[in-house]
Amino acid sequence: MNSFWNGKRRFVALLMFLAGVFVALRVPPVIPFIQLPGEKFPEGFNIPFVDIRWTNTMVGSVIVWIVLLLFAIYVTRRRPKDGNEAPPGGFYYLFEVLFEGLMGFVGRIAGGRHFRLIFNMFMTIFLVVLMANWMELVPGVDTIGFIHPHVKEKYDAEKDEYKLVTTDGYEIYQGFLGISYVNGQCDWISPADEAAADQAALANAEQARLAAAQGLAVQAAYARYKAEHNGHGDDAAQEGGDGHGADDHAEEAVESDEAAAAYDEVLAAREAEKQARRDRSCYTGVAPAPWQDGYEPYDKTKAKDISLHPDPRSDAAKLVPWVVLPFVRVPSTDLNMTLTIALISFVMIQFIGFKALGIGYLTKFFNFGTLFKSPLGGIDVAVGLLELIGDFAKILSFSFRLLGNIFAGSILLFVMSFLVPILPWPFFILEFFVGVIQALVFALLTAIFMNLATISHHHDDDHDQAEAH
Amino acid sequence: MDPQSTIILGKAIGAGLAMIGAAGGGIGIGLSVGGAVQAMGRNPDHTATIQTNMILGVAFAEAVAIYALVVSLIILFVLS
Repeated sequence: MNSFWNGKRRFVALLMFLAGVFVALRVPPVIPFIQLPGEKFPEGFNIPFVDIRWTNTMVGSVIVWIVLLLFAIYVTRRRPKDGNEAPPGGFYYLFEVLFEGLMGFVGRIAGGRHFRLIFNMFMTIFLVVLMANWMELVPGVDTIGFIHPHVKEKYDAEKDEYKLVTTDGYEIYQGFLGISYVNGQCDWISPADEAAADQAALANAEQARLAAAQGLAVQAAYARYKAEHNGHGDDAAQEGGDGHGADDHAEEAVESDEAAAAYDEVLAAREAEKQARRDRSCYTGVAPAPWQDGYEPYDKTKAKDISLHPDPRSDAAKLVPWVVLPFVRVPSTDLNMTLTIALISFVMIQFIGFKALGIGYLTKFFNFGTLFKSPLGGIDVAVGLLELIGDFAKILSFSFRLLGNIFAGSILLFVMSFLVPILPWPFFILEFFVGVIQALVFALLTAIFMNLATISHHHDDDHDQAEAH
Repeated sequence: MDPQSTIILGKAIGAGLAMIGAAGGGIGIGLSVGGAVQAMGRNPDHTATIQTNMILGVAFAEAVAIYALVVSLIILFVLS
């Protein structure tokens, strides 16, 4: 197997590159609609036994759990039962290397009485966050999904009516095998906006014609004035004669060829704009508008307006903007996931503190012991309260560090795949490392804080000696 | 300019200005990592201790930048 592939892998890479070129030309890349909260699935996709709809980040985290579960089963099966038996090799070694390396790493930081608990937390958080972060590198995540119209009903309390709000989106088209795509080259323009643009073009053209006519008339009047006075130029007379003559001539000049040319030019520019969209096989401006104003009150009872969920293959689909709602999104781009892990980590930090120091752990926060004994006792109280605030700030910084890094990373991948659809690999390699580093930082900080919580402030020496023996 | 565009304009400018705060975190991280790497180069035996403290310091410096990020995300996505 190995000898067969020697020297041939480069051709595989070349083939993949050519496939990338082909796909990028065939299916134009699309910048997805970016939003922070996890997107809800359409109606009917509820979590079993609970009346809550799935979100795509939640599906992502379920996949992470399943993958980790499969790894756990695999590792426990492969692990040699007898200490002397050689492990059966393969993928299993990767886990041995990972665990041994990280065990040594954590042992140097938090080796002590509570090493087992700290290492368990460290490794769990590391693996979960790592798997979640690496999900953004998997093809199909963030790109394949439900295609749905990006239309919202908004209740206007003042007027007591429903408004139909159309927002950004793309046009839809039917491609290969009847699969619907959003057309990245045609951002959607509502028929109302299109009609308004047409009106504006007409008005502009009319103005251009008048301006041209005015210009012609002024010229004609000036020429006549010059002919009459034969160069005796006194300014006051010129101005008076000018205004009068221009008005007379303007009405004739409106009908002249030059004014008509100015009129046609503006309309032609507008037509060229539309034609450019049609050349990209967009259909806005071509489809008839069923309603004249996109923001017109939308009356539910009359049901005369457009359907909110048209069939993507029907003509009605052309009347709304479409976006893709991915089946799976990277779980770390959802604040719910990062906040949950941060809360678990926070609880474990407090738990291990109480476990190691008992109720005395609270003196770290409420340090009134020295208040009346030493002149600087007040400072200790303030420091304790600061520690308390700092502990809660940990939740914030833990959750937003991971969220910010991975969310920004996935937007970077979107934009780069859009700009350089053929070769976004360097950024995927970058995100690969960012995923490892963020997972490591999250887990390592948990381990460090847990270790700090086990160390008493006042009896450091006694405690260390007790640990050593 | 219609009110919708004005709102978007204000949001974009505000979010961009809020992220200036991240510069402080960047300076802090740069200083602490630079110092830590120098220290590790001088006495490699203490790498583990220095690394741990460095990561702690980096985390605290980064936390400030994250507050800026939070503000900017709130401006962009929550404020309406």
